[in-house]
Amino acid sequence: MKYVPKELKTNINVTKTSPPKELFILLGGVLAFLIIGYVVLGFAVDFVVPRLPSSVEQTLSRPFERNFADAKENKKSEQLEKVLQKLVDVMPEKRGTYKVYLVEHKQVNAMALPGGNIVVFSGLMDEVGSEQELAFVLGHELGHFANRDHLKGLGRGLLLYSLLSLLVGPDSSLAEIMGGTLVGIQMKYSQRQEIAADTYALDLLDRQYEQVSGAIEFMEKLSIKEKKGHFAYYFSTHPHPETRITNIKNEIRKR
Amino acid sequence: MEQLIVVIVLVGLGYFVGSIAEKRHYRSIVSREAQLLHIPAVTVKNMIEQDADIIDARMIQGSAVISIDHFKRLLASLRNIFGGKVAAYESLVDRARREAVLRMKEKAPNADIVLNTRIETSTIGRSANSRGGIGSIEAIAYGTAVSYRK
Repeated sequence: MKYVPKELKTNINVTKTSPPKELFILLGGVLAFLIIGYVVLGFAVDFVVPRLPSSVEQTLSRPFERNFADAKENKKSEQLEKVLQKLVDVMPEKRGTYKVYLVEHKQVNAMALPGGNIVVFSGLMDEVGSEQELAFVLGHELGHFANRDHLKGLGRGLLLYSLLSLLVGPDSSLAEIMGGTLVGIQMKYSQRQEIAADTYALDLLDRQYEQVSGAIEFMEKLSIKEKKGHFAYYFSTHPHPETRITNIKNEIRKR
Repeated sequence: MEQLIVVIVLVGLGYFVGSIAEKRHYRSIVSREAQLLHIPAVTVKNMIEQDADIIDARMIQGSAVISIDHFKRLLASLRNIFGGKVAAYESLVDRARREAVLRMKEKAPNADIVLNTRIETSTIGRSANSRGGIGSIEAIAYGTAVSYRK
C-alpha cells in the first residue's frame, strides 16, 4: 500500500454560515418572544392590580415603611401633612390612608410607594414656592395611587426581570441588549402614567382651590432647570417637562 | 445605557477583529498543512510496513489554545435558547485541532509517519459560560513520530 498525500479542499467540520445574519435572526426571535410575553403579561398585571386586596398591599408596603419610619417631624413636614389632608378631603375615591414623609436628599423628586406612602425629598421642598405648587406635587402622587400606578410599576418591573432572567439567564451581554429594548417599552408606558397623574392632580387642585395656576408654575420651574433635550427623555420614566406643560394647558382648555 | 454601549462595542470588536484573525489563521493553517502533507498522522498503533527498518521513534506533541470573542459568545448564547448547530464555535474547535496537529508535526519535520495520533480538547477558564467570562479551548495532539531507513 502506497501513501499518496492528498489535500482536502473543503472543510466539513465548520458549517458555512453568515454570522451577522444568524445573529439578527436569533436576536429577532428572542426579542419578539420577549415583547409578546411582556405585553401580554403586562395586561395581566393591569388586570390583577385593581383587584388586589388592601391586605396584600399592606404586606408589600412594610419594607418601604421601615425605611422612612425615622423621618423627622418638623415645620416643613407638618405643612406637607396639612396640604395632603386638604387634597385627600376632596379625593373622589379613597383607598385606605395616605401618609407623607419628608426625606433629606437634594434630589428634586417625590415618590408614591405601596400602602399610601408618599415620600418627598427636601430638594423638591426647596423648589416649591407656594402651597398650590406643593399641592400639585402631592396631587400628582395621589394620582398614582388612584390609578394604582405604584403597584403596576412594581408588577411590571418584576415581570421585566423575571422574563429576562428566565430567557437569557445570567449571561450579561445578552441581558443588556434585551433589557434595553424592553425598558424602552416600559418607559413609554410609564410616561403615559405620569401624564394621567398630572391630569388627576389638576382635578384635585381645581376641587380644593378652584384654580390650577400652581401646576404650570411648578412645571415651568422644572422646565427651566432641565438641560437634557427631548431625545434623552425617550428612555426616561417621566415625559419632558415641556410635554407635561402642554398636556396641563390642554386639560385646562378642556374645562 | 452605558453598559449597553460597552457590550455593543465589545461585540462589534469581537466580530471585526475576530473574523480578521480567523481568516488569517486559516490561511496560515492551509499553507502549513500543504507543507507538512508528506508526513501522515494516523491512528494505527503499529507500523503498517512490517519489514521497515526503524531508526528513530519518539513521542511528539503539539497544543494550541484559541479564545472565543464576545461576538461568538453572544451568538452561542442565543443558540442555547433555540438549539441547533453552534456554528460560531465550530471554527474555534476546528482551528485549535488543526493547529495542534500542525505543531505536533512541526516537532518532527523529518519523520516518515506519526503513529497512534490522538487529539484531546479541554476548556480553559471555567468562566467560559458564566457571567461576563470569556473562555478558551485547548486542543492537544500527540503521537509517535517514526523514521525508517528507505
